[in-house]
Amino acid sequence: MIQLFHVTKYFDGRVALTDISLRIEKGECVLLTGPSGAGKTTLLKLIFGSVPPDDGQILVQNRNIARLRRTDIPYHRRTMGFVLQDFKLLPHRTVFENVALPLIIRGLSVFESRRKVAEALRAVGMDHKQTTRASVLSAGEQQRVCIARAIVNSPIILLADEPTGNLDPQLTMEIADLFKSINAKGTTILMATHNRQVVDRMNGRILRLECGHLMADQGVYA
Amino acid sequence: MRRVWYFIREAIISIRTHRTGTLIGILTTAFTLTSFGVFLLLYHNVNNLLDRIQHNIQIIVYPKEGLEPAKLDEMKQFLKSNQIVESLIFISKQQALEDFKKQFPNEIHLLEGLPDNPFPSSFILTLTSSTPSTDVTAHLMNRLHDHQDIERVKYNRDWIERLTLIVTYLQWGALIIGGILATASMAIIANTVQLAFYTRQEEMEILRLIGATRLFISIPYLIEGALLGALGGGLAIGFLRSGFAVFKHRIESLSVIGGFSSAFEFFPVPFSLTLLVGGIVLGCMGTLATMLGWMKLR
Repeated sequence: MIQLFHVTKYFDGRVALTDISLRIEKGECVLLTGPSGAGKTTLLKLIFGSVPPDDGQILVQNRNIARLRRTDIPYHRRTMGFVLQDFKLLPHRTVFENVALPLIIRGLSVFESRRKVAEALRAVGMDHKQTTRASVLSAGEQQRVCIARAIVNSPIILLADEPTGNLDPQLTMEIADLFKSINAKGTTILMATHNRQVVDRMNGRILRLECGHLMADQGVYA
Repeated sequence: MRRVWYFIREAIISIRTHRTGTLIGILTTAFTLTSFGVFLLLYHNVNNLLDRIQHNIQIIVYPKEGLEPAKLDEMKQFLKSNQIVESLIFISKQQALEDFKKQFPNEIHLLEGLPDNPFPSSFILTLTSSTPSTDVTAHLMNRLHDHQDIERVKYNRDWIERLTLIVTYLQWGALIIGGILATASMAIIANTVQLAFYTRQEEMEILRLIGATRLFISIPYLIEGALLGALGGGLAIGFLRSGFAVFKHRIESLSVIGGFSSAFEFFPVPFSLTLLVGGIVLGCMGTLATMLGWMKLR
Protein backbone atom coordinates (compact mmCIF):
# COMPACT_ATOMS: atom_id res chain seq x y z
CA MET A 1 0.00 0.00 0.00
CA ILE A 2 2.65 2.53 1.15
CA GLN A 3 6.37 1.90 0.75
CA LEU A 4 9.26 4.23 1.53
CA PHE A 5 12.79 3.40 0.36
CA HIS A 6 15.67 5.34 1.95
CA VAL A 7 13.74 8.60 1.92
CA THR A 8 15.56 11.77 2.95
CA LYS A 9 14.13 15.26 3.13
CA TYR A 10 15.84 18.57 3.85
CA PHE A 11 14.28 21.92 4.66
CA ASP A 12 16.56 24.94 4.16
CA GLY A 13 19.62 22.70 4.41
CA ARG A 14 18.38 21.13 7.65
CA VAL A 15 17.60 17.43 7.72
CA ALA A 16 13.91 16.74 8.37
CA LEU A 17 13.97 13.00 7.62
CA THR A 18 16.95 10.73 7.10
CA ASP A 19 17.03 7.43 5.27
CA ILE A 20 13.51 6.34 6.12
CA SER A 21 12.42 2.95 4.84
CA LEU A 22 9.09 1.39 5.80
CA ARG A 23 6.14 -0.51 4.47
CA ILE A 24 2.49 -0.11 5.42
CA GLU A 25 0.02 -2.79 4.34
CA LYS A 26 -3.60 -2.33 3.28
CA GLY A 27 -5.97 -1.93 6.22
CA GLU A 28 -3.21 -1.26 8.77
CA CYS A 29 -3.56 1.32 11.51
CA VAL A 30 -0.20 3.02 11.95
CA LEU A 31 0.60 5.61 14.58
CA LEU A 32 3.50 7.95 14.00
CA THR A 33 4.84 9.12 17.32
CA GLY A 34 7.72 11.21 18.48
CA PRO A 35 8.42 14.68 19.86
CA SER A 36 7.68 17.91 18.01
CA GLY A 37 10.08 18.43 15.11
CA ALA A 38 10.77 14.70 14.79
CA GLY A 39 9.55 14.68 11.19
CA LYS A 40 6.04 13.24 11.60
CA THR A 41 4.29 15.95 9.57
CA THR A 42 7.03 15.86 6.92
CA LEU A 43 6.51 12.13 6.48
CA LEU A 44 2.75 12.64 6.02
CA LYS A 45 3.37 15.50 3.57
CA LEU A 46 5.72 13.33 1.54
CA ILE A 47 3.13 10.58 1.25
CA PHE A 48 0.45 13.16 0.43
CA GLY A 49 2.62 14.65 -2.30
CA SER A 50 2.83 18.15 -0.75
CA VAL A 51 6.60 18.05 -0.82
CA PRO A 52 8.91 15.89 -2.95
CA PRO A 53 11.65 13.78 -1.32
CA ASP A 54 15.25 14.93 -1.82
CA ASP A 55 16.40 11.35 -1.92
CA GLY A 56 14.78 7.91 -2.04
CA GLN A 57 11.48 6.63 -3.43
CA ILE A 58 7.91 6.65 -2.14
CA LEU A 59 5.37 4.21 -3.54
CA VAL A 60 1.70 4.68 -2.76
CA GLN A 61 -0.48 1.99 -4.33
CA ASN A 62 2.48 1.18 -6.58
CA ARG A 63 2.75 4.74 -7.84
CA ASN A 64 6.05 6.51 -7.35
CA ILE A 65 5.18 9.82 -5.69
CA ALA A 66 8.64 11.26 -6.30
CA ARG A 67 8.08 10.91 -10.03
CA LEU A 68 4.54 12.24 -10.15
CA ARG A 69 4.05 15.23 -12.40
CA ARG A 70 2.67 18.31 -10.71
CA THR A 71 -0.57 17.93 -12.65
CA ASP A 72 -1.01 14.36 -11.37
CA ILE A 73 -0.72 15.24 -7.69
CA PRO A 74 -4.37 16.35 -7.21
CA TYR A 75 -5.54 12.99 -8.60
CA HIS A 76 -3.16 11.21 -6.22
CA ARG A 77 -4.65 13.21 -3.33
CA ARG A 78 -8.17 12.19 -4.26
CA THR A 79 -7.32 8.60 -3.38
CA MET A 80 -6.67 9.58 0.22
CA GLY A 81 -8.18 11.66 2.97
CA PHE A 82 -6.27 14.10 5.16
CA VAL A 83 -7.31 15.29 8.62
CA LEU A 84 -5.39 18.14 10.25
CA GLN A 85 -5.14 19.47 13.78
CA ASP A 86 -6.55 22.87 12.83
CA PHE A 87 -9.63 21.44 11.06
CA LYS A 88 -9.34 23.48 7.84
CA LEU A 89 -13.04 23.97 7.21
CA LEU A 90 -14.62 26.76 5.20
CA PRO A 91 -16.17 28.72 8.08
CA HIS A 92 -18.93 30.46 6.13
CA ARG A 93 -20.16 27.31 4.45
CA THR A 94 -22.55 24.77 5.87
CA VAL A 95 -21.50 21.34 7.09
CA PHE A 96 -23.04 19.84 3.95
CA GLU A 97 -21.16 22.21 1.63
CA ASN A 98 -17.85 21.49 3.37
CA VAL A 99 -18.24 17.74 3.16
CA ALA A 100 -19.56 17.85 -0.43
CA LEU A 101 -16.55 19.83 -1.71
CA PRO A 102 -14.37 16.78 -2.61
CA LEU A 103 -17.34 15.36 -4.51
CA ILE A 104 -17.86 18.58 -6.50
CA ILE A 105 -14.17 18.46 -7.40
CA ARG A 106 -14.65 14.91 -8.68
CA GLY A 107 -17.72 16.03 -10.62
CA LEU A 108 -20.24 13.73 -8.93
CA SER A 109 -23.97 14.26 -9.53
CA VAL A 110 -26.09 16.10 -6.95
CA PHE A 111 -27.98 12.93 -6.14
CA GLU A 112 -24.83 10.87 -5.63
CA SER A 113 -23.23 13.67 -3.61
CA ARG A 114 -26.22 13.95 -1.27
CA ARG A 115 -26.16 10.22 -0.64
CA LYS A 116 -22.42 10.13 0.03
CA VAL A 117 -22.41 13.23 2.23
CA ALA A 118 -25.29 11.87 4.31
CA GLU A 119 -23.44 8.57 4.66
CA ALA A 120 -20.19 10.25 5.73
CA LEU A 121 -21.96 12.55 8.21
CA ARG A 122 -23.85 9.62 9.66
CA ALA A 123 -20.56 7.78 10.15
CA VAL A 124 -19.20 10.65 12.27
CA GLY A 125 -22.50 11.37 14.02
CA MET A 126 -23.07 14.75 12.43
CA ASP A 127 -25.95 14.06 10.05
CA HIS A 128 -28.29 16.26 12.11
CA LYS A 129 -26.13 19.35 11.49
CA GLN A 130 -26.00 19.35 7.69
CA THR A 131 -27.32 22.90 7.35
CA THR A 132 -25.30 24.40 10.21
CA ARG A 133 -22.50 26.78 9.37
CA ALA A 134 -19.05 25.40 10.15
CA SER A 135 -18.12 28.52 12.12
CA VAL A 136 -20.72 27.84 14.81
CA LEU A 137 -19.64 24.26 15.47
CA SER A 138 -17.66 23.22 18.56
CA ALA A 139 -14.07 22.02 18.13
CA GLY A 140 -15.09 18.37 18.45
CA GLU A 141 -17.87 18.85 15.90
CA GLN A 142 -15.52 20.62 13.50
CA GLN A 143 -13.07 17.76 13.67
CA ARG A 144 -15.87 15.26 13.03
CA VAL A 145 -16.88 17.26 9.94
CA CYS A 146 -13.25 17.22 8.79
CA ILE A 147 -13.18 13.46 9.17
CA ALA A 148 -16.45 13.22 7.24
CA ARG A 149 -14.92 15.31 4.45
CA ALA A 150 -11.84 13.06 4.46
CA ILE A 151 -13.85 9.84 4.17
CA VAL A 152 -16.64 11.06 1.86
CA ASN A 153 -14.67 9.91 -1.20
CA SER A 154 -14.19 6.46 0.38
CA PRO A 155 -10.38 6.82 0.41
CA ILE A 156 -8.11 3.81 0.65
CA ILE A 157 -5.73 5.71 2.92
CA LEU A 158 -6.57 8.21 5.64
CA LEU A 159 -3.75 10.46 6.81
CA ALA A 160 -4.16 12.42 10.04
CA ASP A 161 -1.79 14.97 11.50
CA GLU A 162 -2.39 15.43 15.23
CA PRO A 163 -6.19 15.24 14.75
CA THR A 164 -6.81 15.48 18.49
CA GLY A 165 -4.33 18.26 19.17
CA ASN A 166 -7.04 20.87 19.79
CA LEU A 167 -9.49 18.66 21.66
CA ASP A 168 -10.14 17.92 25.34
CA PRO A 169 -9.47 14.36 26.67
CA GLN A 170 -13.07 13.19 26.30
CA LEU A 171 -13.38 14.44 22.71
CA THR A 172 -9.92 13.00 21.98
CA MET A 173 -11.17 9.54 22.91
CA GLU A 174 -14.30 9.99 20.81
CA ILE A 175 -12.24 10.97 17.76
CA ALA A 176 -9.81 8.09 18.36
CA ASP A 177 -12.78 5.71 18.43
CA LEU A 178 -14.04 7.23 15.22
CA PHE A 179 -10.71 6.55 13.51
CA LYS A 180 -10.77 3.01 14.88
CA SER A 181 -14.20 2.41 13.38
CA ILE A 182 -13.07 3.79 10.02
CA ASN A 183 -10.04 1.50 10.14
CA ALA A 184 -12.28 -1.43 11.01
CA LYS A 185 -14.08 -0.88 7.70
CA GLY A 186 -10.80 -1.45 5.83
CA THR A 187 -9.32 2.04 5.43
CA THR A 188 -5.58 2.22 6.02
CA ILE A 189 -4.82 4.83 8.67
CA LEU A 190 -1.57 6.68 9.18
CA MET A 191 -1.87 9.06 12.10
CA ALA A 192 0.78 11.37 13.54
CA THR A 193 0.22 11.93 17.24
CA HIS A 194 2.15 12.44 20.42
CA ASN A 195 -0.86 11.76 22.58
CA ARG A 196 -0.20 8.63 24.67
CA GLN A 197 -3.93 8.09 25.28
CA VAL A 198 -4.67 8.04 21.57
CA VAL A 199 -1.81 5.61 20.92
CA ASP A 200 -3.13 3.28 23.62
CA ARG A 201 -6.74 3.58 22.47
CA MET A 202 -5.97 3.01 18.80
CA ASN A 203 -3.90 -0.08 19.53
CA GLY A 204 -2.13 0.08 16.16
CA ARG A 205 1.38 -0.34 14.85
CA ILE A 206 3.69 2.29 16.28
CA LEU A 207 6.44 4.06 14.34
CA ARG A 208 8.65 6.26 16.45
CA LEU A 209 10.50 9.15 14.85
CA GLU A 210 13.22 11.17 16.53
CA CYS A 211 15.17 13.96 14.87
CA GLY A 212 14.25 12.65 11.44
CA HIS A 213 15.28 9.07 12.17
CA LEU A 214 12.96 6.10 12.41
CA MET A 215 13.81 4.76 15.86
CA ALA A 216 11.38 1.92 16.39
CA ASP A 217 9.15 -0.17 14.16
CA GLN A 218 8.46 -3.86 14.05
CA GLY A 219 7.70 -3.65 10.37
CA VAL A 220 10.75 -1.74 9.14
CA TYR A 221 11.25 -2.49 5.47
CA ALA A 222 14.87 -2.30 4.46
CA MET B 1 -23.12 21.30 -14.73
CA ARG B 2 -22.76 21.26 -10.97
CA ARG B 3 -19.15 22.32 -11.30
CA VAL B 4 -20.12 25.22 -13.59
CA TRP B 5 -22.64 26.41 -11.01
CA TYR B 6 -19.98 26.07 -8.32
CA PHE B 7 -17.49 28.17 -10.35
CA ILE B 8 -20.02 30.94 -11.02
CA ARG B 9 -21.18 30.97 -7.40
CA GLU B 10 -17.60 31.18 -6.11
CA ALA B 11 -16.84 34.06 -8.50
CA ILE B 12 -19.94 35.96 -7.36
CA ILE B 13 -19.12 35.33 -3.69
CA SER B 14 -15.61 36.69 -4.27
CA ILE B 15 -16.94 39.79 -6.02
CA ARG B 16 -19.41 40.42 -3.19
CA THR B 17 -16.75 39.91 -0.55
CA HIS B 18 -14.25 42.32 -2.15
CA ARG B 19 -16.64 45.06 -3.23
CA THR B 20 -14.20 47.97 -3.04
CA GLY B 21 -11.44 46.19 -4.94
CA THR B 22 -13.93 45.00 -7.53
CA LEU B 23 -15.32 48.50 -7.98
CA ILE B 24 -11.81 49.92 -8.45
CA GLY B 25 -11.05 47.18 -10.99
CA ILE B 26 -14.28 47.85 -12.92
CA LEU B 27 -13.73 51.61 -12.95
CA THR B 28 -10.10 51.26 -14.05
CA THR B 29 -11.06 48.96 -16.88
CA ALA B 30 -13.88 51.33 -17.83
CA PHE B 31 -11.47 54.30 -17.78
CA THR B 32 -8.90 52.43 -19.88
CA LEU B 33 -11.41 51.29 -22.43
CA THR B 34 -13.11 54.69 -22.54
CA SER B 35 -9.76 56.38 -23.29
CA PHE B 36 -9.03 53.78 -25.92
CA GLY B 37 -12.59 54.14 -27.23
CA VAL B 38 -12.19 57.93 -27.61
CA PHE B 39 -9.26 57.30 -29.93
CA LEU B 40 -11.21 54.62 -31.73
CA LEU B 41 -14.17 56.99 -32.16
CA LEU B 42 -11.90 59.76 -33.38
CA TYR B 43 -10.18 57.42 -35.81
CA HIS B 44 -13.48 56.01 -37.04
CA ASN B 45 -15.03 59.43 -37.64
CA VAL B 46 -11.97 61.08 -39.20
CA ASN B 47 -11.72 58.08 -41.48
CA ASN B 48 -15.40 58.48 -42.36
CA LEU B 49 -14.89 62.16 -43.01
CA LEU B 50 -11.85 61.45 -45.15
CA ASP B 51 -13.88 58.96 -47.19
CA ARG B 52 -16.62 61.49 -47.72
CA ILE B 53 -14.26 64.32 -48.60
CA GLN B 54 -12.25 62.17 -50.97
CA HIS B 55 -15.41 61.13 -52.69
CA ASN B 56 -16.46 64.72 -53.16
CA ILE B 57 -13.06 65.95 -54.25
CA GLN B 58 -12.89 66.90 -57.90
CA ILE B 59 -10.00 67.37 -60.25
CA ILE B 60 -10.33 70.26 -62.67
CA VAL B 61 -8.45 69.88 -65.94
CA TYR B 62 -7.93 72.97 -68.13
CA PRO B 63 -7.18 72.15 -71.77
CA LYS B 64 -4.90 74.46 -73.78
CA GLU B 65 -6.64 77.44 -75.40
CA GLY B 66 -8.03 77.00 -78.88
CA LEU B 67 -8.06 73.21 -79.05
CA GLU B 68 -10.10 71.76 -81.89
CA PRO B 69 -13.29 69.86 -80.96
CA ALA B 70 -11.71 66.61 -82.20
CA LYS B 71 -8.77 67.10 -79.84
CA LEU B 72 -11.15 67.90 -76.97
CA ASP B 73 -13.06 64.66 -77.71
CA GLU B 74 -9.80 62.75 -77.71
CA MET B 75 -8.92 64.28 -74.32
CA LYS B 76 -12.36 63.39 -72.98
CA GLN B 77 -11.82 59.74 -73.98
CA PHE B 78 -8.36 59.80 -72.43
CA LEU B 79 -9.71 61.14 -69.12
CA LYS B 80 -12.66 58.72 -69.09
CA SER B 81 -10.39 55.76 -69.70
CA ASN B 82 -8.82 56.20 -66.26
CA GLN B 83 -10.17 53.66 -63.77
CA ILE B 84 -10.43 56.02 -60.81
CA VAL B 85 -12.45 58.59 -62.74
CA GLU B 86 -16.09 57.98 -62.04
CA SER B 87 -17.67 60.80 -64.03
CA LEU B 88 -16.64 63.76 -66.11
CA ILE B 89 -18.31 67.01 -67.08
CA PHE B 90 -17.10 69.35 -69.81
CA ILE B 91 -17.56 73.06 -69.13
CA SER B 92 -17.13 75.15 -72.27
CA LYS B 93 -15.73 78.71 -72.21
CA GLN B 94 -19.25 80.05 -72.76
CA GLN B 95 -20.76 77.93 -70.00
CA ALA B 96 -18.01 79.01 -67.61
CA LEU B 97 -18.88 82.62 -68.32
CA GLU B 98 -22.60 81.93 -67.76
CA ASP B 99 -21.86 80.16 -64.48
CA PHE B 100 -19.78 83.11 -63.29
CA LYS B 101 -22.57 85.50 -64.08
CA LYS B 102 -25.07 83.32 -62.21
CA GLN B 103 -22.89 82.84 -59.17
CA PHE B 104 -21.51 86.34 -58.89
CA PRO B 105 -24.08 88.71 -60.38
CA ASN B 106 -22.59 91.68 -58.51
CA GLU B 107 -19.14 91.15 -59.99
CA ILE B 108 -20.15 91.24 -63.66
CA HIS B 109 -18.61 94.69 -63.97
CA LEU B 110 -15.18 93.09 -63.68
CA LEU B 111 -15.66 91.58 -67.13
CA GLU B 112 -16.46 94.91 -68.75
CA GLY B 113 -13.81 96.14 -71.14
CA LEU B 114 -12.29 92.71 -71.67
CA PRO B 115 -11.92 91.92 -75.39
CA ASP B 116 -12.69 88.17 -75.07
CA ASN B 117 -14.27 85.70 -72.72
CA PRO B 118 -11.50 85.22 -70.12
CA PHE B 119 -12.79 81.93 -68.74
CA PRO B 120 -11.08 78.76 -69.91
CA SER B 121 -12.96 75.60 -70.82
CA SER B 122 -12.48 72.74 -68.38
CA PHE B 123 -13.19 69.11 -67.53
CA ILE B 124 -14.44 68.39 -64.02
CA LEU B 125 -13.49 64.86 -62.92
CA THR B 126 -15.18 63.07 -60.01
CA LEU B 127 -13.22 60.14 -58.58
CA THR B 128 -14.68 56.70 -57.89
CA SER B 129 -16.56 56.08 -54.60
CA SER B 130 -13.98 53.55 -53.42
CA THR B 131 -11.45 56.04 -52.19
CA PRO B 132 -8.32 55.81 -54.31
CA SER B 133 -5.03 55.82 -52.46
CA THR B 134 -2.89 58.93 -52.70
CA ASP B 135 -0.39 56.97 -54.83
CA VAL B 136 -3.02 56.16 -57.46
CA THR B 137 -4.25 59.74 -57.47
CA ALA B 138 -0.68 61.04 -57.76
CA HIS B 139 -0.10 58.74 -60.71
CA LEU B 140 -3.18 60.17 -62.46
CA MET B 141 -1.99 63.70 -61.68
CA ASN B 142 1.41 62.98 -63.22
CA ARG B 143 -0.23 61.65 -66.36
CA LEU B 144 -2.40 64.75 -66.61
CA HIS B 145 0.56 67.07 -66.09
CA ASP B 146 2.52 65.28 -68.80
CA HIS B 147 -0.32 65.51 -71.33
CA GLN B 148 0.64 67.88 -74.17
CA ASP B 149 -2.87 69.36 -74.62
CA ILE B 150 -3.43 70.12 -70.94
CA GLU B 151 -2.62 73.62 -69.74
CA ARG B 152 -3.23 73.25 -66.03
CA VAL B 153 -4.65 70.82 -63.42
CA LYS B 154 -6.25 71.91 -60.17
CA TYR B 155 -6.41 69.44 -57.33
CA ASN B 156 -5.97 70.10 -53.60
CA ARG B 157 -3.85 67.02 -53.01
CA ASP B 158 -1.82 68.33 -50.09
CA TRP B 159 -4.87 68.78 -47.96
CA ILE B 160 -6.06 65.21 -48.54
CA GLU B 161 -2.60 63.86 -47.85
CA ARG B 162 -2.45 65.77 -44.60
CA LEU B 163 -5.78 64.34 -43.52
CA THR B 164 -4.60 60.84 -44.43
CA LEU B 165 -1.51 61.43 -42.34
CA ILE B 166 -3.65 62.51 -39.38
CA VAL B 167 -5.64 59.29 -39.67
CA THR B 168 -2.39 57.30 -39.64
CA TYR B 169 -1.16 59.21 -36.55
CA LEU B 170 -4.49 58.54 -34.86
CA GLN B 171 -4.14 54.85 -35.62
CA TRP B 172 -0.69 54.75 -34.02
CA GLY B 173 -1.79 56.97 -31.13
CA ALA B 174 -4.73 54.66 -30.40
CA LEU B 175 -2.38 51.66 -30.49
CA ILE B 176 0.29 53.16 -28.22
CA ILE B 177 -2.01 54.83 -25.71
CA GLY B 178 -4.36 51.85 -25.78
CA GLY B 179 -1.39 49.57 -25.08
CA ILE B 180 -0.18 51.66 -22.13
CA LEU B 181 -3.66 51.95 -20.64
CA ALA B 182 -4.34 48.26 -21.18
CA THR B 183 -1.16 47.36 -19.29
CA ALA B 184 -2.15 49.68 -16.43
CA SER B 185 -5.62 48.22 -16.36
CA MET B 186 -4.24 44.69 -16.35
CA ALA B 187 -1.97 45.55 -13.43
CA ILE B 188 -4.89 46.93 -11.42
CA ILE B 189 -7.12 43.97 -12.21
CA ALA B 190 -4.22 41.69 -11.26
CA ASN B 191 -4.00 43.55 -7.94
CA THR B 192 -7.72 43.21 -7.33
CA VAL B 193 -7.60 39.49 -7.97
CA GLN B 194 -4.43 39.23 -5.91
CA LEU B 195 -6.25 40.74 -2.93
CA ALA B 196 -9.00 38.16 -3.35
CA PHE B 197 -6.26 35.53 -3.57
CA TYR B 198 -4.63 36.58 -0.31
CA THR B 199 -7.86 36.72 1.62
CA ARG B 200 -8.85 33.30 0.32
CA GLN B 201 -5.45 31.67 0.72
CA GLU B 202 -6.75 29.28 3.37
CA GLU B 203 -9.66 28.26 1.20
CA MET B 204 -7.30 27.48 -1.67
CA GLU B 205 -5.13 25.49 0.71
CA ILE B 206 -8.19 23.43 1.68
CA LEU B 207 -9.08 22.87 -1.97
CA ARG B 208 -5.56 21.65 -2.71
CA LEU B 209 -5.78 19.39 0.33
CA ILE B 210 -8.84 17.63 -1.00
CA GLY B 211 -7.45 17.10 -4.49
CA ALA B 212 -8.60 20.14 -6.48
CA THR B 213 -6.53 20.76 -9.60
CA ARG B 214 -5.00 24.19 -10.11
CA LEU B 215 -7.42 24.75 -12.97
CA PHE B 216 -10.39 23.96 -10.72
CA ILE B 217 -9.13 26.45 -8.14
CA SER B 218 -8.35 29.08 -10.77
CA ILE B 219 -11.57 29.01 -12.81
CA PRO B 220 -13.67 31.06 -10.33
CA TYR B 221 -10.93 33.71 -10.32
CA LEU B 222 -10.83 33.73 -14.11
CA ILE B 223 -14.61 34.15 -14.18
CA GLU B 224 -14.25 36.95 -11.63
CA GLY B 225 -11.66 38.67 -13.82
CA ALA B 226 -13.80 38.21 -16.94
CA LEU B 227 -16.91 39.57 -15.16
CA LEU B 228 -14.91 42.51 -13.89
CA GLY B 229 -13.59 43.21 -17.39
CA ALA B 230 -17.01 42.78 -19.04
CA LEU B 231 -18.61 45.20 -16.58
CA GLY B 232 -15.76 47.67 -17.19
CA GLY B 233 -16.19 47.27 -20.95
CA GLY B 234 -19.95 47.74 -20.73
CA LEU B 235 -19.51 50.85 -18.61
CA ALA B 236 -16.97 52.22 -21.11
CA ILE B 237 -19.43 51.75 -23.99
CA GLY B 238 -22.05 53.58 -21.90
CA PHE B 239 -19.64 56.48 -21.19
CA LEU B 240 -18.66 56.70 -24.86
CA ARG B 241 -22.26 56.60 -26.09
CA SER B 242 -23.43 59.37 -23.80
CA GLY B 243 -20.26 61.42 -24.40
CA PHE B 244 -20.70 61.04 -28.15
CA ALA B 245 -24.39 62.05 -27.98
CA VAL B 246 -23.43 65.27 -26.17
CA PHE B 247 -20.61 65.94 -28.66
CA LYS B 248 -22.85 65.41 -31.67
CA HIS B 249 -25.53 67.66 -30.24
CA ARG B 250 -22.95 70.43 -29.77
CA ILE B 251 -21.52 69.96 -33.28
CA GLU B 252 -24.95 70.16 -34.87
CA SER B 253 -25.54 73.52 -33.23
CA LEU B 254 -22.36 74.92 -34.79
CA SER B 255 -23.28 76.28 -38.22
CA VAL B 256 -19.66 76.25 -39.47
CA ILE B 257 -19.30 72.48 -39.43
CA GLY B 258 -22.98 71.70 -39.17
CA GLY B 259 -22.89 70.35 -42.68
CA PHE B 260 -20.43 67.68 -41.66
CA SER B 261 -22.30 66.59 -38.55
CA SER B 262 -24.07 63.80 -40.44
CA ALA B 263 -20.65 62.29 -41.11
CA PHE B 264 -20.10 61.77 -37.36
CA GLU B 265 -21.40 58.46 -36.12
CA PHE B 266 -20.90 56.16 -33.12
CA PHE B 267 -18.88 53.12 -34.05
CA PRO B 268 -20.72 50.09 -35.38
CA VAL B 269 -21.70 47.08 -33.23
CA PRO B 270 -18.52 45.04 -34.00
CA PHE B 271 -16.40 47.91 -32.57
CA SER B 272 -18.54 48.00 -29.41
CA LEU B 273 -18.23 44.24 -29.10
CA THR B 274 -14.46 44.61 -29.50
CA LEU B 275 -14.44 46.92 -26.46
CA LEU B 276 -16.52 44.44 -24.45
CA VAL B 277 -14.34 41.49 -25.46
CA GLY B 278 -11.29 43.68 -24.81
CA GLY B 279 -12.52 44.19 -21.25
CA ILE B 280 -13.01 40.45 -20.77
CA VAL B 281 -9.55 39.70 -22.19
CA LEU B 282 -7.99 42.35 -19.92
CA GLY B 283 -9.77 40.87 -16.90
CA CYS B 284 -8.66 37.32 -17.71
CA MET B 285 -5.08 38.43 -18.40
CA GLY B 286 -4.95 40.31 -15.10
CA THR B 287 -6.11 37.17 -13.30
CA LEU B 288 -3.64 34.98 -15.17
CA ALA B 289 -0.79 37.36 -14.31
CA THR B 290 -1.62 36.89 -10.62
CA MET B 291 -2.08 33.17 -10.84
CA LEU B 292 1.06 32.30 -12.76
CA GLY B 293 3.20 32.64 -9.63
CA TRP B 294 0.77 30.70 -7.49
CA MET B 295 0.51 27.95 -10.12
CA LYS B 296 4.11 26.94 -9.41
CA LEU B 297 3.08 25.60 -5.98
CA ARG B 298 3.00 21.82 -5.70
